[in-house]
Amino acid sequence: MTPRFDLATVLSGEYLARYVTGFITTMELAVAAWILAFLLAVLLTVVRMAPFKPADWAVAAFVEYHRNVPLLIQILLWYFGVPELLPNSARMWINQQNSEFFFALVAIGLCFSAYMSEDLRSGIRSIPGTQYEAARALAFGYFRSMYYVILPQALRVSGPPLINQTLFLFKNTSLAMAIGVAELTYQAKEIESYTFKTFEAFFVATAVYLTISLGIMLLGDHAARRSQIDAR
Amino acid sequence: MKTLNVILSAAAACVLLAGAAQADQLQDIKARGKLVCGTLGTSQPFSYQDPKTREIIGYDVAVCGAIAKSLGVPMELKAISVDARIPELTQGRVDILAANLGWTKARSEQIDYSYSYFVSQQKILVRRDSGITTLEQLKGQKISAVKGSSSEQGVKREIPNAQTLTYQDGSASFLALQQGKVNGFCASELVLVKLKEQTDGSANPVDIVKKSLFVEPWGLGIRKGEPAFLKHVNDTLVKMEQSGEAARVFEEWFGPATAYKLERDFKIEEIKG
Repeated sequence: MTPRFDLATVLSGEYLARYVTGFITTMELAVAAWILAFLLAVLLTVVRMAPFKPADWAVAAFVEYHRNVPLLIQILLWYFGVPELLPNSARMWINQQNSEFFFALVAIGLCFSAYMSEDLRSGIRSIPGTQYEAARALAFGYFRSMYYVILPQALRVSGPPLINQTLFLFKNTSLAMAIGVAELTYQAKEIESYTFKTFEAFFVATAVYLTISLGIMLLGDHAARRSQIDAR
Repeated sequence: MKTLNVILSAAAACVLLAGAAQADQLQDIKARGKLVCGTLGTSQPFSYQDPKTREIIGYDVAVCGAIAKSLGVPMELKAISVDARIPELTQGRVDILAANLGWTKARSEQIDYSYSYFVSQQKILVRRDSGITTLEQLKGQKISAVKGSSSEQGVKREIPNAQTLTYQDGSASFLALQQGKVNGFCASELVLVKLKEQTDGSANPVDIVKKSLFVEPWGLGIRKGEPAFLKHVNDTLVKMEQSGEAARVFEEWFGPATAYKLERDFKIEEIKG
């Protein structure tokens, strides 16, 4: 009879190496997707706030698509769908590369840029218009008003929701396993099917996800407290 | 800290529940008056829904039915997913598994396997325009397989440097081959024969590499620590082999009258690791 709860097996040799490479891939995917999402979110926010209606509509459509279609479908669409639109030679070239990782990164990055841009926009909208007027009255131009007066306050408001999105983004990298990206969940599933130690295999993955997520939360809390304005 | 406590006690509870003592299963089944058999229900011709009667039928079902008959009880089928096979068995929700259960050493440490009642030829499907005809040509290439399948493990074992990409199901693995994301798709020959037939005459035909990548014995899955039940199952399988019933059942699902037209090139026997 094998022991009932035996972490030693799944944490040894080849299986441990799988967890490690899976974890590294998860982190690479999460960090790269986060950078893409954040930069794009800033761009989307700026475009949306420009005084040009069609730009506003385009961003709104982008955001609604990404908020209303399951992320798994978006990933599958990028991986199995989009390359089919390309000419044959380009498609073959992409297929030779590490296209699983690339398409997962694009899908997750785009999706979360939509959420993050909404958080940024809400942050900016929460700052009363009088702040802007006051800045202008002090002879700041549009950009300097935004940079010195509006954005520092807006980012403080957007902080907690952005931390939340970061957590969601981190956890949702697990969906990349559907297209064969060998990240942490993929590896946990592999280990499960090699050993049939279902509980142990997912227990380890759970512990890793939980640790990183709690870490992100603590860092976020810390940053929020640091940027707090002292109450009068 | 509180969260951690909750998680740890939940984990402990699961472990305790799983460890609850069980009486002898052979007696239990007879006393209960039915054999609960876990099967996939989506794997033609092993276990799948008959489009007319809506009942689950197939080779796996027939073998399980024979075990039930030998016990003198009716069989109750339970459709389960590939992922859920082992938990369903170890947690006692099914008595026995007839569910495309390929033998591997690591798996045999978790559950007992009966004698093998089927031997699967694992082969590789390639695009005809790729010009690949031998396994050697697949060295270092990308090969798709169903996530968690033993096909994937076989590719890693048998083809040096091959990179496996696993997907949720056979159709995604096949789509990846057709789109050129991978150069081969490894699965049981039975699955591949059908796919080849479907694409013959299309713009994107596929071929099966002739040589088997490996052969995989399949067994019925039984919980560890049930020697009486295991012996009964094995004895029944051996009797089926001797009486010719095993060959007859094989013929019914794979023989000349079916789409597969397979020759039976194995006998029911103990799986040797």
